[in-house]
This record gives sequence, C-alpha cells and structure tokens, in this order.
Amino acid sequence: MSEAPRQITLQEWDDRYERLRARGIPQPVYGGPLGRHVEDGDTRLLKLRFDNSPAALRLWNFLLTEEDRLQAARDAGKKLVGTMKDLGTVPVMAYSLDNLVAFYPDGAWWIPCVMEVNSGLLQIADSLGIDESFCPVRAMLGAFVTGAHFPIPDLLTCSVGATCDDFSAIAQRLNGLGHPILWWEIPHRRSPEEDEEAVQLPGGFSAPRGQVEFVESELERVRIALQDLAGQALDEEALARGIAQANRVRRLLAQLRDVVFTATPCPMPALEMLIAEMLAIHFCSDQEETIVVLQELLDEVKLRVAAGRGYSSAQAARVFWVNPVADLQVMNLLEDCGGRICGTEYLFAHALDPIPLNVPPMEALAQMALADPMVGSAIDRAARIVAEMRRFGAEAVIVSRIPGASHCALEGEIISEIVREECGLPVLEIEVPPLTDAVQPTLRTRLEALVETVVNRRSR
Amino acid sequence: MMYAGIDAGSRAIKVVLIGEDGSEIVAKGQVDQGVEQDKLACRLFEKVLAEAGMGRSEVRRIVATGYGRNAVPIADTTITEITCHAVGVRQLVPAALTVIDIGGQDSKLVRLDTSGKVRDFAMNDRCAAGTGRFLEVVADRLGLSLSDLGPMAAQSHSPAAISSMCVVFAETEIIGLLAGGRAREDIVAGVQTAIASRIVAMAGRNVEPPIVFTGGVARISGMEMALEAALGHAVAISPDPQMTGALGAALLARRHFDNMNW
Amino acid sequence: MAYTCPYVPAEWIAAHGLRPRRLIPLPVEGALTIPRIEGLCPYARAFVNDVAAREDVDGIVVTTMCDQMRRVFDLLVRRVDRPAFLLNVPSTWQTVAAQRLYLEELKRLGRFLVRLGGREPDQQDLVRVMLSQARGDGVPGTPYTCDASVGWVLNPRVKGTLMREPRGLRTHPTCLTHHHSAGVPLALVGGPLMQRDRVLFDIVAECGGQIVLDATETGQRGMCGPFDRRRLAEDPLMELAQAYFRIPDASRRPNSELYQWLKDQLTRSGARGVLFHHYVWCDKWHAESSRLKEWANLPVLRLDSEGQGEADGVRIRNRVRAFLETFV
Repeated sequence: MSEAPRQITLQEWDDRYERLRARGIPQPVYGGPLGRHVEDGDTRLLKLRFDNSPAALRLWNFLLTEEDRLQAARDAGKKLVGTMKDLGTVPVMAYSLDNLVAFYPDGAWWIPCVMEVNSGLLQIADSLGIDESFCPVRAMLGAFVTGAHFPIPDLLTCSVGATCDDFSAIAQRLNGLGHPILWWEIPHRRSPEEDEEAVQLPGGFSAPRGQVEFVESELERVRIALQDLAGQALDEEALARGIAQANRVRRLLAQLRDVVFTATPCPMPALEMLIAEMLAIHFCSDQEETIVVLQELLDEVKLRVAAGRGYSSAQAARVFWVNPVADLQVMNLLEDCGGRICGTEYLFAHALDPIPLNVPPMEALAQMALADPMVGSAIDRAARIVAEMRRFGAEAVIVSRIPGASHCALEGEIISEIVREECGLPVLEIEVPPLTDAVQPTLRTRLEALVETVVNRRSR
Repeated sequence: MMYAGIDAGSRAIKVVLIGEDGSEIVAKGQVDQGVEQDKLACRLFEKVLAEAGMGRSEVRRIVATGYGRNAVPIADTTITEITCHAVGVRQLVPAALTVIDIGGQDSKLVRLDTSGKVRDFAMNDRCAAGTGRFLEVVADRLGLSLSDLGPMAAQSHSPAAISSMCVVFAETEIIGLLAGGRAREDIVAGVQTAIASRIVAMAGRNVEPPIVFTGGVARISGMEMALEAALGHAVAISPDPQMTGALGAALLARRHFDNMNW
Repeated sequence: MAYTCPYVPAEWIAAHGLRPRRLIPLPVEGALTIPRIEGLCPYARAFVNDVAAREDVDGIVVTTMCDQMRRVFDLLVRRVDRPAFLLNVPSTWQTVAAQRLYLEELKRLGRFLVRLGGREPDQQDLVRVMLSQARGDGVPGTPYTCDASVGWVLNPRVKGTLMREPRGLRTHPTCLTHHHSAGVPLALVGGPLMQRDRVLFDIVAECGGQIVLDATETGQRGMCGPFDRRRLAEDPLMELAQAYFRIPDASRRPNSELYQWLKDQLTRSGARGVLFHHYVWCDKWHAESSRLKEWANLPVLRLDSEGQGEADGVRIRNRVRAFLETFV
C-alpha cells in the first residue's frame, strides 16, 4: 500500500496508471488503463468511482476482459460451458477438467448498465416478448442472439425447480430459440421431518438425506454431460482437485469479507467487494487468476487495516446489503450518503462457504447446491442474514429489489419483518433498475435517511 | 349519399364523411372529448354536416368506433378502433402491412395481410407509459408544448434512460433527471425511446414493412424516428393520422351497407 | 383441505378421509393478509387472502409450481394460523428421478394429512376413491358434462371438489358434437383463472365467439388424464402420481409437452383462434405469449389482467371484440 486509500474517477485512474507503469509496476497480460474499456463501449465506467489500489485495478481489468478470455479459450480448443442460474456448483465441476471453461451467461445482466443500454440487448429481449416486467437478466437473451458478448457455449446447463420464475422463463425462451439446455432439478429445500435423516449443510441449514441424494443424482447427469463434452473422465479424483481449488477461492473470499466487514474505517469500497464476491460463482473464466486477484486484494486490505487506514469515515453507517444491484453506481452512492458495507448476501452466500471435504465429492456438491439460500424459504434466508449481521456488527439492512425478479416481491417483506423482530434494526427496501441516473435523487434521499436513522440511534 | 364514421377517442371525437363511392373525404371535424360525449358527438356530426351543406337524411349509415363508441347514440353500429384504423390506413396507404397507432391512452400495433385485413394485433392499454400521455407529462414538466418535443429531441445525442413501467413513476424519474442537470433534449428523446421500446415489445421479432404510424401521437415530430430506430425499419406517418379511425369507420359503414364481406 | 394447484390430487386427500377443496380465489373484503404489492402475482395473492379469510379450512396445500407461490407460502406460514404444506412439484419431468420425487412428495403429503387427523389409506381405499371419481359421459379430461337440455354443466366429480362453483358458466367449452351457438370457435390458453375472471367466457360469447377449448389451469388442461384401470389395480398411488404428473404446464422444463398437448387439442377442438390469458407478474406464462404466437398457425390475442374481473372487463372486451372482427 503506497498511497492513502481513496476512491477515484476513471480519468484519475488513467493518470495514476501512467504513473504506476512508469514505476514499473507488474501487471497481468490483461492489464492496462481502465479507459480502454470505455472505448469498447463500457461507458458506465465514466460515472463510477474506483478504489485506487493496483489490486483493485487488477480486479476491474480481470472482470472487464472476461469476453476476451472466453474467446481465447474457444480459440485454444477448450470447450465452453454456460452454467445458468446455478450460482457456484456446476462451475466447480467444470473447472475440475483442464479443457473446460465455465462461465455465467446470466452475468450479461450487467451489460445494459455497463454499456448504458447502448448494447441493444434489452430491446432484443423486448422483441422476444420478454419485456421490462422481467428481471434485467433478460439481457442474456439479447447476448445469445447477437453473439457479441460471449461465444455461444458448447453446453448449456440450467438449474430449475426452486428457482426464480423470471429466469426460468427466460431460459425456456432461450431453449425455444433453438439452444439445447441440460435442465437439472433443484428441489425446494426443507427441514427434515421427524422420520427423516437430517444432513447438516454448509452455512447452517439442514435438509433431509433424500433431498441430498436426489440432487446428487441430478448433478450426476451434469457430470456425465461435462465428461462427454470434455472427452475426459470427471472422476472422484478430478472432482476432489476441483473442490480443493474452489475452496482456495472461497477461503480467500471469506478472509477478505471478514477483514473488510469488521475493520474500521472500511478498507475496501462496496463496489470492489461486490465484484470480488462475484468471482466466487464462476471464477470469471479463469480459476487460477481469480486466486491471484483475490490474494492481492486481501494483501492490500490487510496492509490498510494494519496501518489503520481506509477510505470511509470511521463514523460511516454499517450497512448489510441484500441482493446484488443492477446498477453498479448504487454501491458508490451508498458511500456518498455516509454508509459503508458491512456484510452482504448477494443471492449466492452458499458459494462463499467451503465445500465439505469429509464426504464424497458429488455428495459434497449436492450439499452445496442445496445450501443455496434462494432454494429454501425466505425465512431461512432471513435467518442467515440475521446471523451474518450480528457477526459483522451491522447497524442497518438494505434490501435491494431487482425490478421484475419474481422473488423480490415478497421476500423483502419477510426479511424486513424478521430482521426487525430479531435485531430491531432499521431496514430499507429500494428498487435498483439497470440505470439509476433518473432516480438518483430518490435513492439518495432514502439512503441518506437510513444513515441519519443509524446515526441518531447511536446517540440513544 | 354519404357514409359517416365517428371516432370517439379518449382525447378527441372525430367525424369523417365520405361520398357514395368511398374514394374521398367529403367533410371532417374534430372536438375535444368531454363528459357528455354523446351530446358532443351528435353536435360535431351536425356541425360537419352543416359545413358540408348536407342533411342528416343524406347519410346512409354511421359507424362509431373508439373507446367511447357505445355512447354515440346516432351510430347504426360500432366497430373497434383496431379494425377501423387498419381500414383507414389501408385506404390512405394501400401497401401498408403494419400499422402503429399511438393515442392518448393506449397504443396498438396491427398487422395486415396483403388484402388489407387485420391478421393480428397487440395493444398496450393497461399502462399509459407507452402512450401519448407520457409525452404530455414530459411536455408539461419541461414547460414545452407537444409541438416543441420533436425539434427538441432531435438535438439529443444521448437519450436518457427512463426505466419505469408506469408513467407516474417515470414522471419522478424526469424530475430526477432535471435535478441532475440532464439536458432537456436528452429527456425528451429518452421518453420517445421508452415509448418506442414498448412498441417493440408488442411487435415481437417479425415486423413487416411498410410500417405506417397513425393516431394523435404521429403528429408529434420525432416519434417516427424513435420508432424507426427501435424497429429497424422505415416508418411512414399516415396522411391525416388523427382521422384514420373515423375514416376507417366511414369506409366500413359503406361496406356494411353494401353487405360486402369486411 | 384447501388447495388450488392441479398437481394436488384430490383423490389422495379424499382417500385419507379428508375433504379436498380446490379453491379458485374470489376477492376478499376486509382486512387482507397480503396487500397489493408490485411484482406479486394477483392469483397468488388472491389465493392466500381468500384461504386466510375462510373459517372452514383445516389445512392448506400449496405447490412449488412457481416461485410466486413458493414465496407466498412463506407468508402463509407466518401469518395464517392453519397447518400448511408445500408440495414440491418438479419442474423437470423427463427423468425417472423427477417422477419418483413427485411420488415421494405425495407420500409425504399423506403423512401430513395423517397428522391432521386423516387416516392412512390402504390400497383398496385409494382404488375405491379413484374409481368413484371416474368420469361419466363427460369429454375425457374436461371438468364438464354435457346435459342435452341445458348444455354443458360442471362435472359432479369436479363440482364436489370445488369450494365454489365458477361463475360465468353460461358459456362452456363445447364438444364438437354439441354446438350451442354459432360463435367463432376459440381456445383459451393460460394459467389459472380466478372466479371473477371467468366473466371472460361471457365476454367472448357476447362478442360473437365461443370458447371450445379451455386450456387454462382451471379448465381442461388442469385435469389429469383418465386412469388406466389395470395399473390402478396394481399400484393405485403410482397410477395416481403418473396421471397427475402428466398434466402439461408452462412451468415445466422443457415445456415441450405443453405445446404437444396444445397441438393435439387445438386440432381436435377446431379452434380458429387463441385467447392467451395471463396475470400481470406471472412470468412463466407471460414469457410464452410471444413463443405461442410464433408457434401457432392461428391468430393469437394476448390478454393480460390484474385479476380485477369487470374492472379489467372494459379493456378485455374491446380487445376480444377487435379480435373477433378479424374473423369476419
């Protein structure tokens, strides 16, 4: 850590980049000034503020060059697996083989934000009858039609069952356009009944043995498909290696979250933390590099914490954030309004927990898939949120609704009720569309009011 | 002898008289909608007749259309505005295969077959965000008249993104954009783009040109360009766009009287 | 036992000695369990409000057919003081594992019913119940029976299980041999229809149409096929599970079976056009609208409603009338 942590604009970053380059700072092959991505159409970057560490620069460049990596993998003869809906399980299996690359087509949901709607993806979705009453992940349909944002995968998998309606509908529409999909069922996780053997899942939930076995049988179908695609055996040994590697990522992320969410002042901004957490799902198409990126981030925050430095005020309101935002700029807005991130639940908390090593790999993955908070009741999800809030010392919760997402209509109400009952803390629900420019004053008012509430409560 | 079409729309009542052979409009008129629309429609009809130097007995048949059609007591029959706009546009633009009608309170996309019959249609009438009402809201907020909107939008290089599905919340967004210093031309262009995107959602993937744009909103310049950009096809504005519904009704009155298959 | 989803076998509940009551929601006056919330399916909301307001319900069964109902179940268990059961209905259908999962879920439902005071049925109990529900002279797979003097009436078997008779019964789907009007034959396709929205049948008749295929969840499509008597005798629960599991729906993945069923039924019914109905915020059906238009060789009219009944009626009437004008 050479400079005081602060958030800087894209232009400031490009200036800083030149200085760093002149000092001979090492950078990866995908490195370079952030400004070049704006030339590719990622104009939203002009409105964001970024952490000023080289580690953050690496993180951003890593994220924004994923398309290049996917194309390079295709050119090198690797097979591409599009793992839809499933947040963190099938990629672990895919990366157990060295000639498979898994990515997350759902990630296209950020393209309308990053390209400020100029990509035309939402209009394509409109023309397919998937209008704005559906979640912004509908941009994925447009991405498949244009083929301009990622190579069309060699295999598409999609979890269904206890998943959100809008994504399921979008995936079915994709299937109807002629893209074959390997559908695999994830049942609604429930508590074991009296006469059922209970299995303790990672993250604190439990499920009946029968459900774990069922999911294992579903993942077995996926395993066979991956194996056939790769032309290599995806056996227990390979899976064990894949799980070990995935756990390295998860351990790093867990450490990063622990350090960042508990330190005062906050050593890493909410936006970079959001991007970092997303790496847990599919490793941004390069598992090894994910580990390097996260390690650098972790090293940076540790240095900052040791020096007692951070970018936020020590008085910033400690906010637990639920659900990812369709517009990245809102994470900056939180900090503008006097808040700081202090815990998150971005729909894939299970992908941050270590995959069990004390059971056979396929069973471990089945447990992991069932541990997904979204697969069970919102009451369970709220329980996990409360536990994490207490662990990190949050003072308020923001539940960020995703417009059109079927789970958001009622889930926020349940989470809010339970958080208030259990913790007595203020909860704010906001809706975040892909571009929030027009609703900034509205959002700002709400966030500032929440921060004021938190500050006033402190003096009671 | 003549035939009459009365379009009792949400914003205005229009009357068209056509001659015996149906080839041209003999007289027409328009009045703003109001509470006693039955009386308004009758008075307008009488006024148009008088201006044409005609009497009631010279009108063979009257068809009423529009949302208020059932409240027009002098109509011999009623036909929906979907069918009437299609017939009216086809009379004026014989090659038209797609008709887009954006009115004050609803918008429609109508597909015609090569003989001019309605093949398929889609409507947005649950939410005013895809309609002329939205343009009225933005004009009001920006202190502009509707006729100013087109020239203003033409100056935009970067339309603002309006995300709300509801025009009430979209108005909040407009306020937010203004407060944020966004240029007025970008806001107007953004609203036009938002309306056009709703038409795309109704249109689906297979929009067949020639596309003709009709209804009151077609008179607001710039909207056809927003539609062209969204649909990826040229869009022509119908001659006399506000009258196509009433014209179609009059033509159908003639066909109906002649017992032709319509 | 109140339920609304077609994947809940009424016979299974009845075999446990309990009364199955399929609830097709009506609007509820007074305090509501769930207010209107943007993004919440009106049908899911109406079901919870309706079931919560009733005093004659001892237990509630909800299924996982859609995320909206899954989430509504969460509110139900927190706010309604009645035992409730969430039946996991798989989205996938093509694997033995999915079929087995459904069967196991029915068994689990059975244990819930026993806890509620039902009796565990033996094989003969179930066979008897399933046979007693066998249809008379109704069109296979429809809830209606043809009465020559009055036209179509609700099948007594179905009538016994409905909590309220659907309104709008003046005009029913008619079989090809029993035309009672000369209206344009249309198919009605979509998810469930609330009771007040069955006014749609009357609107269609008023506008010169006739619904000859009710392919909604609360109509013909939501009925399970006839039981195979041989398999029924061998393993009635398996036969029950298979019959119900085969109900086609938009929520299935893939939902190709729905389109196969529609293809067969549209041909059989002689429908000349399709009315496609979905509730606002019902994503799984809304998403099929565009695909259905591309797939069907018939004109398709999309009707989206908020479950307001006559309040939606003005809009719907206008669209239906315009649609029927295209057939002249």
